Amino acid sequence: MEQLVLHSFLETLFMVTASMFFGTAIGIFLAFLLVLTKPSGLWPKPWISQSLGVFLNAFRSIPFIILIILMIPFTRFWVGTSIGTAAATLPLTFAASLLIARIIEDALNTTSKGLIEVGKALGASNLQIIFKIQLREALPLIVSGLTTVSINIIGFSAMAGTVGGGGLGDLAIRYGYQRYDFTLLVLIVIILIIIVQCVQMTGNFLEAKLKK
Amino acid sequence: MEPHFLSIIIKNLGKSYNVAILKDINLEVPQNQILGIIGKSGAGKSTLLRCLNGLEQPTTGTITIDNQLFTGVSDKERRRIQHKIGNVFQSVNLLSRLTALENVMFPLKLFKGNSKDIHSQALKLLHLVGLNGKENAYPSQLSGGQAQRVAIARALMGDVSLLLCDEFTSALDFETSLEILELLRDLNKRLGVTIILITHDMAIVREICDEVCVLEAGQIVEKNDITSILLHPQHTVTKSLIRHLITKDLPHHLQEKLNKTPTDKCFALLRLFFSSKAAGDPIIASIVKTYDVPINILLGSLDHIRETAFGSLIVSIPFELEKITNIMKDLDQRSVSAEILGYFPQSGGHSWNS
Repeated sequence: MEQLVLHSFLETLFMVTASMFFGTAIGIFLAFLLVLTKPSGLWPKPWISQSLGVFLNAFRSIPFIILIILMIPFTRFWVGTSIGTAAATLPLTFAASLLIARIIEDALNTTSKGLIEVGKALGASNLQIIFKIQLREALPLIVSGLTTVSINIIGFSAMAGTVGGGGLGDLAIRYGYQRYDFTLLVLIVIILIIIVQCVQMTGNFLEAKLKK
Repeated sequence: MEPHFLSIIIKNLGKSYNVAILKDINLEVPQNQILGIIGKSGAGKSTLLRCLNGLEQPTTGTITIDNQLFTGVSDKERRRIQHKIGNVFQSVNLLSRLTALENVMFPLKLFKGNSKDIHSQALKLLHLVGLNGKENAYPSQLSGGQAQRVAIARALMGDVSLLLCDEFTSALDFETSLEILELLRDLNKRLGVTIILITHDMAIVREICDEVCVLEAGQIVEKNDITSILLHPQHTVTKSLIRHLITKDLPHHLQEKLNKTPTDKCFALLRLFFSSKAAGDPIIASIVKTYDVPINILLGSLDHIRETAFGSLIVSIPFELEKITNIMKDLDQRSVSAEILGYFPQSGGHSWNS
């Protein structure tokens, strides 16, 4: 049983870290696009920011379990199969990037207009303003946002069992719930609580370090 | 440095969005000068400043900074000139996650990366603005005045020859504002940096400026040296801005009793301004002697324009047309400017004074 739990733990770890990693990369890109192209942005292209906003909202309103199923054709195309841990990681990445895009967008938007004007008046380029002022100022908020998203994704990963993704959540459903192994169910729940606590504490610690 | 080297030349500058904000602004600012641009809110001060720091492009006209055209040039050229301009904004706008020293270094780090020169210049400036020992403090650990000093040091980083200040004292208490103004004057003398500051407050202008330029409805309505502006204001806007500063106006309930025209047996209320030149003479005493009139001083204040003292008095004199006319003429010759505020009926004339 220990091996079963360990194996599932590693699967969860893989799905969450991989989807958070790629999700953050895509999310940052989308967030910058949103912030830059908004009407008051540094590169105003309202049609981009608006259509991107509608796209994000549309996909964020789809329940994750439905999203997994809807994405099966894409998963098959990208991963080669629609079943397994790697296959489950794709919809997780997609869901994570949607959440992260909004969270980073909000964080970047907290930079005061005045501070951006300081950059402009210094003769800084848009990229310098984004990276050296906005991103720098928003970092603590971004870290706390990513912490929240990580915890969400840990929850989402329980649904990965639908496509054979495995992981702790899937183990809890199949062995704990469907096979009435109450001890295993409680054990997994405790492990999940510990993981979430660790993630939150690490996030809080990093945020406090970054905030001056 | 040539004595008449011009730091800024503004020619026929206009800026309009849907309505005209600035109209035909012409202005020359010699190097090393401290120029105050004063006006009421909505007069166009901020827009003018934003044209000068490159945050806005003027609709018409040109700006030349240090002999280089600043308007209608490529982004690259504009940015190059922007490096010579330091800005102190209304809100302090420091990067919250950088220390005081890192904030001062920020403008140059943005372009050149790390180097020892940047560090030593930043350290020097931070000491110059009086923040020894605060190098590693974060903005949240600094007081409003200290944070503004950091912002000034940051504005002076690099090869800055022009400092633009936008209502930057409005968030500070008066004492702190005075300290910051003193610092600016000191920096102006030591570094030879030209300073333009915009404000709605004549008290700020009086403390620091060499020249004043009064903006009203997007136009310059008056421009003169500070002493002339304060002692001989021409335009009504200038006068009203000054009134807040140097006249202790009569209390409202007394103003209500004031008649516009003289009545039989009344007192005339006069407001006198005198500069340091006139302040040396015993003017009131000699008027009393020459015209044999009892002068009653109702209100008075002494004020300073930079190093020049001047005073303002409100006095009452028993009204006799001929005498008053002569007294006014006499005062004028002694370079005291006098203005009749109104007339009090004799019965109440002195009673309210006690």
